[in-house]
Amino acid sequence: MIMNTRLAGLAAMLAVVLLSGCVTTQRTDTYPPTGSVIEPQPEPRGETSRLPDRTPPVVTGGQTTGTPQQPGMQANQPLPPRSAEQVSSPAVRSLLGRADTLARNGNMDLASSTLERALDLEPRNPFIYQRLAAVKLAQDQPGQAEAMARKSNSVGGNNPFVRADNWQLIAEARRAAGDSAGASEAAAQAKNYQRTSLQLSQ
Amino acid sequence: MASKTPKARPKARRAPSKRARNTRGGKPRRGFIRRLLPYVFLLFCLGAVVVAAYAVYLDGEVRNQFEGTRWTLPAKVYAAPLELYAGLDLSRDGIVSRLARQGYRSSTTTDRPGTYESVGGALDVHIRPFTFWDGDQADREIRLGFDGSGVASIRPLDGGDDLALIRLDPLMIGSIYPTQGEDRILVKLDEIPPMLPAGLITVEDRDFLHHWGVSPKSILRAAVANARAGRVVQGGSTITQQLVKNFYLNNQQTLVRKAKEALMALLLDAHYSKPEILEAYLNEVYLGQDGGRAIHGFGLASYFYFQKPLEELQPNEIALLVAMVKGPSYYDPRRNPERARARRNLVLDMFHDAGFLDDEGWAVARKADLGVTARSSRSTSQYPAFIDLVRRQLHGQYEDADLTEDGLRIFTTLDPAIQASTEARVNKGLADIEKARGIKADSLESAAVVTSVEGGRILALVGGRNAGFAGFNRALDARRPIGSLIKPVVYLTALAEPSKYSVITPLDDGPLAVKLANGDTWRPNNYSNSSHGNAVPLHYALTHSYNLSTARLALDVGIPNVVETLKKLGYTGDPLAVPSLSLGAVDMAPMQVAQIYNTLAAGGYYTPLLAIRDVTTSDGEPLNRYPLQIKRAVDDAPVYLTRWIMQRVARYGTGASMYKVLPNSLDLAGKTGTTDDLRDSWFAGFGANRLAVVWVGRDDNQSAQLTGATGALQLWSRIMKDADPRGILDVPPDNVVTVPLRLQFPNGGGADQDLYQYAQSCGNATEVPFVRGYVPDGLSSCDSDIMADNAARARQQQQQQRESEDEGNWLQRIFR
Repeated sequence: MIMNTRLAGLAAMLAVVLLSGCVTTQRTDTYPPTGSVIEPQPEPRGETSRLPDRTPPVVTGGQTTGTPQQPGMQANQPLPPRSAEQVSSPAVRSLLGRADTLARNGNMDLASSTLERALDLEPRNPFIYQRLAAVKLAQDQPGQAEAMARKSNSVGGNNPFVRADNWQLIAEARRAAGDSAGASEAAAQAKNYQRTSLQLSQ
Repeated sequence: MASKTPKARPKARRAPSKRARNTRGGKPRRGFIRRLLPYVFLLFCLGAVVVAAYAVYLDGEVRNQFEGTRWTLPAKVYAAPLELYAGLDLSRDGIVSRLARQGYRSSTTTDRPGTYESVGGALDVHIRPFTFWDGDQADREIRLGFDGSGVASIRPLDGGDDLALIRLDPLMIGSIYPTQGEDRILVKLDEIPPMLPAGLITVEDRDFLHHWGVSPKSILRAAVANARAGRVVQGGSTITQQLVKNFYLNNQQTLVRKAKEALMALLLDAHYSKPEILEAYLNEVYLGQDGGRAIHGFGLASYFYFQKPLEELQPNEIALLVAMVKGPSYYDPRRNPERARARRNLVLDMFHDAGFLDDEGWAVARKADLGVTARSSRSTSQYPAFIDLVRRQLHGQYEDADLTEDGLRIFTTLDPAIQASTEARVNKGLADIEKARGIKADSLESAAVVTSVEGGRILALVGGRNAGFAGFNRALDARRPIGSLIKPVVYLTALAEPSKYSVITPLDDGPLAVKLANGDTWRPNNYSNSSHGNAVPLHYALTHSYNLSTARLALDVGIPNVVETLKKLGYTGDPLAVPSLSLGAVDMAPMQVAQIYNTLAAGGYYTPLLAIRDVTTSDGEPLNRYPLQIKRAVDDAPVYLTRWIMQRVARYGTGASMYKVLPNSLDLAGKTGTTDDLRDSWFAGFGANRLAVVWVGRDDNQSAQLTGATGALQLWSRIMKDADPRGILDVPPDNVVTVPLRLQFPNGGGADQDLYQYAQSCGNATEVPFVRGYVPDGLSSCDSDIMADNAARARQQQQQQRESEDEGNWLQRIFR
């Protein structure tokens, strides 16, 4: 059982690593506007909103306000990074490489410890949290896996490449925790972000 | 005891039987005596049996002690290692000072570990080998290249490609030893500089290699010398006897004890080889005192006096330690440098005369400084507050004996550089404040906690203004009312209900009276003792720490909900859910505040604050990891909104004076806290990678005459400045949108002119965040943060529209 979970987790981690490498073929400089369709609310809001998804009127300077644009998401901005290699320093890359080797050899404790070392150097690198999520999954800690994946989402800004993989990890974590409804919700999120990633890459 | 060591019996009998033979041989044979002989013989036999039995007993004791668990080894506590990598934001001077702190020696060659050399603009370092929690790192010679911003490259001098990163061996910051206990680091004879045992024999016991444990020659020599001097100037004890004395006996100077000591020395010498005895001596000998901690053995003494391993000691340093054997207190190089120096040079002369220190080395060593560090880095008295925390975090997982006896290695999160600067800033900051404000000198106390935000690592902990004094640990134990530090928790609770509150919701700051359950009436007041009207924008009330509006807001959202948020953020206490909680009527230690604020700083993700990352056995086997644990505690949108206001506290509000010290470009967030009668002065704040909480007050709980801004913030800004802070990255979560607004409270006032002004230009607009879907009704870009103004403006626009419609009608009438 434990072995199976480990293997599943490892497979997930490798999938993550592979995914981030092969999602795309082409770079474009355009970034489609992201609406609520591809950014669904992860949790239902308790209170009924008075004006759901209302955006305030556009006023001066032709600047659109109230759209879900993020800093760095302007139309002429480059693509968000899709792999750790693009954003990490050589030091962090070397630690990530070491962690990947340790994880492949099943040494999840040391893999986790090495990733934490990387996090000390780059505390807001979403790819490190993403790998930690994969390791936690392999360590049979679905709760931690989901928390790490969500943290990766939160520090990564609106990066569909990162988010697609994170939601995939969250889906697996929820499945491992026996929450199949939650798992399919997460899987749907992952699909959404994968679609956005594909659009971006075209 | 003797019964436990049956093997000891035959050997033990040998010694007394020798003596018996000798005595019998000297007796004359006479009639009378012959008749008495059987009795004498019987008596003698009895005596021999007693002596033999005693010898057997002693022998057992000697062997037990020598072979059993000879020493208890206190756990060793290490700071976080410095990671060296290209891009590290640390200048050459910064690295040199870090190396010096760890006892690295500036040298003209780096062929030995623990040395460094400046080579042009670069720095060669021979890093010591070290066993980390995740494995061994061999010693390595590297060349660090630098550019304007810090380390640019790391080239291994043994060839090969540049290294991506390498760790420096961590600073050992203390031991966990029993109260009034011995502390030591074990060394092996074959791993230490040969000059040390040679020198020790030369100075302490020339015949060591040849005598049987006692040396009649030395005793005689000492007796003659003492008789000449008329006092005790020389001891006749061999190294073996000294070891016996340290090992087994108390300090009584009686003849019986002397005899026992000699007998045991003989036994020890009979059982064990000279190298075994010498090694035991090297590890046992007493070499100094550090408060309640006794420094035993050369291994620890080397760190205690020179902050480096024994194998790196130079001749002058070896000679000093050898010199101190005679009287560690009398020759204490820190307290009696002149005396220590004179004896060291005498010892160096003996080294030279004995032939194992050449002329040149001798001359150099005699001229050298004592070389002792001002403050012992291994002393637990350097970071007592932090070690205290380490102990507490270990408590429950390990028995006391595990920690004080098994030589465990404890790897912590402490950053020695940040710890040192935080201590200095607290100490100097308090003195400066006292001086500037005419407060009685030394009346203020303080505590500070610095964390890494992400990962929740504790980088520095200061428990009082005299950080070296292991007294009351205020960072953990001084629980004081937190005052306005609670306010962000109140606002976070409110902002988590976006249908009811946004950052510009108008709050009533009018006088407030709340009837309490016990019949009393609670009447809070503003710091200024005046109200700020009935429509203070929510963000403004927090930025300027208004009490009345905050109390009303807390009552509105419900005090139990505020308590709930407090717990989600990491508070483990159970505060009374009373109205005054809204203004901070809850006692917390700085550490508890740090836990709560760390969750805010980390975007709503709770991570238990940790001082320890790994524990291994003495030979590096992992025992316990403390892996990163995170929990999504509160939604990120309300945390983002709260933090946005706290950034305004830092820019424009009660925390703004931080920018007199910190660079303007740095985006930080924080909150002041002040309690009744100015008793407690707090500041808690953070950037992307550092969080610090500072408390200033008095131990006797009298008024400190300080607000959060005039007291704690002054220390906080300087602590932060030295801690390599990064600004907050403004990445709003998905479900947050921004609207450019003109933040004009309190000057808006609703005058018509203002309404026209902002309709004309939208300069000075601020991007104000709202939860998506909850932007207040009727709000447009360039509106004001004063909702009444916006409403008035909307009415006015409608009016104008109606008027123009009327006008149209009128024109229509004309042109009809």
